[in-house]
Amino acid sequence: MSGKNEDLISCSVNGKTISVPKNTSAIKAFKIAEQDIAHYCYHPGLSVAGCCRLCMIEIEGNPRTQIACNTMVTEGMKINNQSKQIKEDVQWGLDFHLLNHPLDCPICDQAGECGLQDQYMKFGQYKPDMNQKKVKKAKVVSLGEKIVLDSERCILCSRCVRFTDEVSKTHELGIFNRGDKSEVGTFNGKELNNDYALNTVDICPVGALTSKDFRFKQRVWYLKKAEAICTGCSTGCSIYLDYNEEGFFRVRPKPNEDNNSYWMCDEGRDLYQHLNKEKRLVKVYPSKKVSTSNFAVSSSSSSSSSSSSSSSKKAIKYLKSELENIKDSTKIGVLVTGQYSVEDYKEFFSVLKEKNSINQIYHWFDQKNSKNDFDDLLIRGDKNPNTKGLLEVAKDMSLKVIDSSELKNTASNLEILIVLGPEYKKFFSTIDEKLEYFKQALQVFYFSSVKLDSLDSISNVTQIPLQSLVERGGTYINYKGLKQKLSILPQVIPKILSFSQIAKVLNGEKIQLEPLFLKTQPVKDNQFSFQKN
Amino acid sequence: MFTISEKTKKFITKEVSRYETKRSAIIPCLFELQKDNQGWISNDCIESLSQFMDIPSKDINEVFHFYTMFNKKSVGDFHIQVCCNISCHMNGGLDLFKVLSDEFKIEKNGVSKDSLAISKVECLGSCGTAPMMQVNEKYYENLTKDKAIQVIKDLIASKKTN
Repeated sequence: MSGKNEDLISCSVNGKTISVPKNTSAIKAFKIAEQDIAHYCYHPGLSVAGCCRLCMIEIEGNPRTQIACNTMVTEGMKINNQSKQIKEDVQWGLDFHLLNHPLDCPICDQAGECGLQDQYMKFGQYKPDMNQKKVKKAKVVSLGEKIVLDSERCILCSRCVRFTDEVSKTHELGIFNRGDKSEVGTFNGKELNNDYALNTVDICPVGALTSKDFRFKQRVWYLKKAEAICTGCSTGCSIYLDYNEEGFFRVRPKPNEDNNSYWMCDEGRDLYQHLNKEKRLVKVYPSKKVSTSNFAVSSSSSSSSSSSSSSSKKAIKYLKSELENIKDSTKIGVLVTGQYSVEDYKEFFSVLKEKNSINQIYHWFDQKNSKNDFDDLLIRGDKNPNTKGLLEVAKDMSLKVIDSSELKNTASNLEILIVLGPEYKKFFSTIDEKLEYFKQALQVFYFSSVKLDSLDSISNVTQIPLQSLVERGGTYINYKGLKQKLSILPQVIPKILSFSQIAKVLNGEKIQLEPLFLKTQPVKDNQFSFQKN
Repeated sequence: MFTISEKTKKFITKEVSRYETKRSAIIPCLFELQKDNQGWISNDCIESLSQFMDIPSKDINEVFHFYTMFNKKSVGDFHIQVCCNISCHMNGGLDLFKVLSDEFKIEKNGVSKDSLAISKVECLGSCGTAPMMQVNEKYYENLTKDKAIQVIKDLIASKKTN
């Protein structure tokens, strides 16, 4: 069954015939054939170390067992890992890994997503013959601002060392001493503080490296993972968001060969904080002028907590009536950031264009970073996930895009300035400059999902809450034109208007408020159960 | 910051050119550096070597910590290495080690008042003349307890007269 395509070769894995590209390692062939194979040190994004000796395979015609990660598949090769010999090899390999590994799983943060646990459940021998004393090593070693090291738990797979050598190229970590005294560490107190350091926590197969931010916050089996994209910069890495009914807890990279490979930057891992209640804009903050109008009279009559959707509705209705009073469309300014999805822009702009004949938008782009800044790995200077999408939508709708610095001259002429604000204020270095423009305009309507405290002191700004990016969903276009769709997750804060509802209110249509509330679903599959083979 | 002497720099450059990769030259370079720095290697030495060789300092540290023949602490003016391998052991090498430690009050991993450091070492290739010891670069063979003590006393005295 030779492959028709010349670049493909066929081989047999556990009796299953598959075709794989040339220069495929045997361990990859196992993955392609969807066969279980034990392994620690192998990681698809790193070089081969071959030090864990767990991925043993038998090659037909070859008397000795070999490691799969460092064996290349050749045409017609027959490999398997089902024989008694291999099973014993793996079982003993695992027992040697556990020789000095403390069995403190109940207090270990990695439990539940630990390579050693998982592999032992699948391949272990369940009757420990080792009764030697374990070697004691340093615990709770701080490796900088983000990471804690527990040397006793380390099984010396060297993934983290290879990561700092090959991917981040910062060379902080090394394995020092020898034999059972070997330890991962940094030299001369150097800290592991590079921009990608937290990836070492992800690739650590045991609980040796843990993130200071996440550790002891949640047991991982109480978390659900959702696929999303990081909106921290225009790379738009694929990510997993881990959440439960209490909120979002962490961000991990999702392997994506087309974009971010297996990694993401540390900056993007703060994303989850902006989705939780603490940093969100949860209710309308009316400006002085708005609160003295009949808006306030009606809103104060209902209780403040339950009225966030109705008060946003009122605020938007007020905005609509104000917009209708302005005949000259040049007196209306629309200032947008590239942080919203293509669908959001379309809905929002089309209403403004139809109703108020808006034909230009101000583009808020961070001035400190040049658009083409790039650190040769993932981080880009353009801190907006959808700059390309925004410009495309504007082009399709024939809207003129003006740089926001132009507001210096025009802000004082504006009667209304509508702002689609940033979702991550720390990425925007020029926010103070923008606040000056806000003061000059007659009225400002500021939409955002994130609370910006410095706006409270400006009396002409009305702040209206938006759903966060994972509540809105939508399409984002990254720097190279890759379109990525975000799925919609349950709402953290109920009763916040969606973009389409805002557009409907601006359009004078009626909306129903109640069905908005999407009750957070309880976490399923939280029973952690395992069985002996 | 430790400065590498011109002589050692020359040595390193020559040594690096002998191998395919720079990393291969780390061991001979560390030995040369150890001579430069009174017989031991500090973190500063590693940093300077890393800068000069353009290799990450942790790579050098990995090699440095793997081998026991590099001294990780100061060894004073006289580093006494007593062979305790089979031939010397059978001829009283271990006793020699204990006697010297007690006589000159040298603690393990420490430096005595007379600036002496002592360590047990494996075979130094002088089995025919056991027991023996090496002080800095020099071998002293066919030792007895008294002879060894006298050798060290002479060395201390010669240092004082200089």
